[in-house]
This record gives sequence, structure tokens and C-alpha cells, in this order.
Amino acid sequence: MKTLIISILLITAVSFSADAQKFITKTGHIKFYSDSPMEKIEAHNHQVNAALDAATGDFVFKVLMKSFEFEKALMQEHFNENYVESDKFPNALFTGKVVNIKDVNLGKDGTYEAQVEGKLTIHGVTQNVKTKGSFEAKDGKVAGKAKFIILLSDYNVKIPGTVTNNISKTIEITVDVNLEKLN
Amino acid sequence: MRTWIKIIIALALIGFIAAILLYIFLYNKPHPDFEKAEAAYTLAATDLYKNFTANKTEAGGKYNGKVIEVNGKIAKVEAKDSLTICVFVFEQGMFGDQGVRCTMLPSYKERAVKIQPGSEVRVKGYCTGFNDTDVILEKCSIIK
Repeated sequence: MKTLIISILLITAVSFSADAQKFITKTGHIKFYSDSPMEKIEAHNHQVNAALDAATGDFVFKVLMKSFEFEKALMQEHFNENYVESDKFPNALFTGKVVNIKDVNLGKDGTYEAQVEGKLTIHGVTQNVKTKGSFEAKDGKVAGKAKFIILLSDYNVKIPGTVTNNISKTIEITVDVNLEKLN
Repeated sequence: MRTWIKIIIALALIGFIAAILLYIFLYNKPHPDFEKAEAAYTLAATDLYKNFTANKTEAGGKYNGKVIEVNGKIAKVEAKDSLTICVFVFEQGMFGDQGVRCTMLPSYKERAVKIQPGSEVRVKGYCTGFNDTDVILEKCSIIK
């Protein structure tokens, strides 16, 4: 009987270890950058909702398109009204997995390389994406960073002829999320 | 040159310069002043949240991209990643709190952090949508 009770207690203790933790942020930062000969455009979103399950590696990002801020108001207008049509498609979503989560021990301070794969939905179109990123675990917090490129045409984002040279066909996306344990 | 030709050239030049000035003016037009903007809708924060959770598309069509004023009891004020956010919490989900999040304008940060949890406030901001967890209002100001 005593052995049974101790075993149950041990199993319960192990399942509540750091590995079973969920890490989240609601103030994640995503930047996208377009570099063309005519113009450099960048936009920042500071309202990114990201959640990571340290046990399964499941990783989800929920992004509101109208939260992207541009330096130029006119550019922000064109972005919302003409390019990503944020009235029709207000949300962008990434659902994926850190495929090498077994090599990532977020319970222990350190920097870990992450291989992330999943589905990215922008402007109503879903594409498979694969990227490398990093997790830096320190004092129970995890800083996640990644950088990858997307093609506007992959998401049916059409740039009118008049500004074709102002906007690059490839956009660089930088992800910067400070995740904290969900109690 | 005949007088009327000179007049036409002068008018064309004026028109051309006006067009350029208009383009420069538009290109550099300022972002909206959300502190001064009038709210398109005024409602309880809990009702805004309920509208979005009941029908995200319909609520989005109504509130996204508009200035909204909400009132209710603040659950907490977060200071994270250089942002100050007044948070209304109405539900608990798989990833914690769910409700309405109001990211404050820099000029309101100081006032916002002094708000006691549980106190009634009126906050006005630009609604960017619902991310299936929280309704997000940005560029928020506190209405006295």
C-alpha cells in the first residue's frame, strides 16, 4: 500500500515538472520588412498572442492584421485596404510545432536551437512554412526568436502596378516573443 | 508667344505643382489622433467581449477598425514589453485569461498604472479585432 501511494505521488510530481508547462505571451512582437530599390517599408505588431506547449512542442501564434503599425499612415491604409484586405481577413494564424522539442529543455537555463514547422494563414490563404529559431530560457522565462521569408504571391497579396517597385515580392518576417509560464 | 498660350502653360504648371504638393501632403499625412477621436460605439467591456465570442465575423464587421469606448471593472494593469495594458477579464480559457485588452497611449501610461484592480474605468481606443482569446483595443486613453 505504501509503495502504491509513493508511486502515485512520484508520478504526480513528475507530471507537474517544467516540461509539462505552457508558455505564453500576449505582447509578442512581429516585424515585417520589405526592401526594394524605391523604398524600405517596415511594420510592427506588438499584440501577438503566442502559446508554446513545452511538452508537445505545439506552437500557436494569433495575429491581428490591423495591429501592424507603419511609420506612414498612408502606407498603413494601403496595407489594410488594398494589400491584406484586413476587413475581410482580420486575423493571421500560425499553428505548428517545434519538431525538435525533445532537444529543448526550457526548464533549464540556456539557448536552444528550434526547428519550427507548421501552417501559416495570411489573407485567407494557408501555406506550409518551416524555419529555424532559437529559444533562450532564463529564470523561468523563454525568449523565442525567428526570422523567415515569405512570398506575397503565395498569399494572394496583389501589389498594384503603380507601386510594384516600392514593395518587394519577398517579405522578411522577424518574430520576437518573450514567453512566460502560464500558472 | 501668344497670351493665351502663356496662360495655358501657367495653368498647367500650377496644376502640376498642386498635384505634387497634394501627393506629398497625402504621403506624409499624420496618423489619426485617437485621443481626440469620437467613439463610434460606447458599451460595457463585457458586452464587447460577448459580441465577439458569439459571432466573431459579425462583431468584426461592426467594430474592427473603429474607435470604441468601453466601461467596466479593470482586472489588472500589465506593464510588459514596454507596453501598458489595462485588462478586463471575463473568462478563463486553455491559455488563461480571456477578455478585453486595452493598450494605452504613452501619455496615459502613468495614469493607467495607478488604477486599482477592481475599479470602474472608461477606456477609449481603436479596435483591431478579436484573436479568439482577447478583444484588442489600441492607442487607448482614459475617459474621466
